[in-house]
Amino acid sequence: MSKNVKLSDMARPDDEPLLHLENRDLMPLPPPLDDPAKDHDWTPLSPQVRQQFECRLDDTCAVSVPKPKSREEERQLVEKFLAGLDKLFIKEDNWSFLQPLVLSMEHCARCQTCSQACHIYEASGYSELYRPTYRSEIVRRLYYKYVKHGGLLAAFQHGDIELNWPLVARLIELSYRCNLCRRCAQTCPLGVDNGLVAHELRKLFSQEMGIAPKEIHEQGSVLQLKVGSSTGMNALVVKDNIAFIDEEMTEKTGIKVETPWDVEGADVLLIHNAGEILAWPENPGAFAIILTAAGIKWTLSSELAGYDAINYGLWYDDAQFARVALKHAEAARKLKVKKIVLGECGHANKALSVVADRVLVGDHNVPRESAITLLHEIVMSGRLKLDPSRNDFPVTLHDPCNLVRLMGVVSPQREILHKICPQFREMEPHGVDNYCCGGGSGFAIMSGHNFPDWRFHVSGRKKLEQVLKVFADCLDPSINKYVCAPCSNCKGQFRDMIAYYDLWNKHRIGYGGLVELIVNAMEDVKPGFIDWEWH
Amino acid sequence: MPIFEVNGRQYEVDEDGFLQDPSIWNEEVAKDFATTEGVTELTDKHWKVIHYLRNYYLQFGIAPMIRKLCKETGFKLNEIYELFPSGPAKGACKLAGLPKPTGCV
Repeated sequence: MSKNVKLSDMARPDDEPLLHLENRDLMPLPPPLDDPAKDHDWTPLSPQVRQQFECRLDDTCAVSVPKPKSREEERQLVEKFLAGLDKLFIKEDNWSFLQPLVLSMEHCARCQTCSQACHIYEASGYSELYRPTYRSEIVRRLYYKYVKHGGLLAAFQHGDIELNWPLVARLIELSYRCNLCRRCAQTCPLGVDNGLVAHELRKLFSQEMGIAPKEIHEQGSVLQLKVGSSTGMNALVVKDNIAFIDEEMTEKTGIKVETPWDVEGADVLLIHNAGEILAWPENPGAFAIILTAAGIKWTLSSELAGYDAINYGLWYDDAQFARVALKHAEAARKLKVKKIVLGECGHANKALSVVADRVLVGDHNVPRESAITLLHEIVMSGRLKLDPSRNDFPVTLHDPCNLVRLMGVVSPQREILHKICPQFREMEPHGVDNYCCGGGSGFAIMSGHNFPDWRFHVSGRKKLEQVLKVFADCLDPSINKYVCAPCSNCKGQFRDMIAYYDLWNKHRIGYGGLVELIVNAMEDVKPGFIDWEWH
Repeated sequence: MPIFEVNGRQYEVDEDGFLQDPSIWNEEVAKDFATTEGVTELTDKHWKVIHYLRNYYLQFGIAPMIRKLCKETGFKLNEIYELFPSGPAKGACKLAGLPKPTGCV
């Protein structure tokens, strides 16, 4: 293992990765995964991949940047990088995040309080390369040298740095070794935000150099703006799928489920992450059952992007972000609904409820609310007849970073679970101090090459430890257990990680959303809505 | 683009090993890709899944809901995993020459 990477290594001209991790280097896990020798081996990148793409950071490759064909091409890319770096610090080009970025550049005291807060740094066995300040320190030195033109004095005061293509290539990958969970920013005594630094780098690479992982750009926001959804579903397909879900849910619950489309003047326009419709149909089904039973006048929209709440631009590109946010607002405005309610998707909640507040003005500024608070109101009002004994199995709650730490929606989901789940137990730490699932900021859907190996072993490791600990007293497979994760991206990460470590088959650790637990407790619904099948 | 070579034939594939151009698919392609997905022999059950996926894709341009696949073919999800060890999305879709499913699925 090469734990002691130096800052100057980023500019090393060779192709050798700066870091190689073995299972024994990683943070130990509790039983039953406490033997590193029994852990899965990482799939190495193939020589073909190493030859084609820039893979000189570590053992994996998230972005698949093709290797430049000439020195000239390398030079041009570095120039574009510098132009983009400049723009990050110009008000007209970066009005959204300029102030916190400058604060993060100029006020870090290098106390390293943030490092201990980072799940990736800890899980990697404290590898220097993944220390949250490592990436920021590179950017900080570039800032003083190339943006502030600090000359020799800056080099003396802030440390010198060599800029070349290998550094840029490694920085591209390194900007995708952070989940943007911003636990580090929360703990910083000065408010320095290393997560934002990673975000701003991604933005520079996308907006200035056209470089972004295909899963979130080409097949994500671009596809969404073209056909209506990142899943590729157009309006016809999504309606067909919802009709199928309605039928299934009617059969399963004994309650007639009929999802309303394009109802003008509805009180609530519900927008799901469209991935729910394809991968977790019980979730939109359960929403339909709850809203209808609560007597709410609600609708879905078949407008372009009006039925897919995702806004991947939040993770990597302000322009794509604004385009999608406007589409969402447009769908609501067209239907003249009273408000938009966002389904169980963390980043979509923060994107449209909070961040889009800087984009939506005038009549585009439709009121927006998280489904979590609406569900809280419904459950606490007593409008649904609920029988908690139907949920008498161990349940824990995962806090999606965007929804909880970054929006402050903390208590409503807990109050719901305390009311309907007799065996609800908290992971430690939780709430705003939670750990990311490991799939945050798009990692859960980025599956090129061996990137999933990295996210199971490194970025997801801390959450895996928490889940194993919270269920340590009931790992027996005769006891069904439920990780409640009200976020599509988090659910994707849990599904893949539970499957990778075979925790469903061996220990009956399952996962799902919040609405499924509510419907499972509804007295009017046939028992067994949660069917304990692997989905 | 990476090239996947098998039985003397070459296919352009993406980073996840999915066929780059879904329109060149035929049954031979399914047989060739089966070798990468731990499928040793393509039985009638495999073909039922592959043909359903293929037809749905030609009609709608994307992969069907997994639940729909199960209902229409009559296989439970775990049976699909028995047929295609990497699962319906990464395994069966690959053999049927569909692009990798996109979005948060």
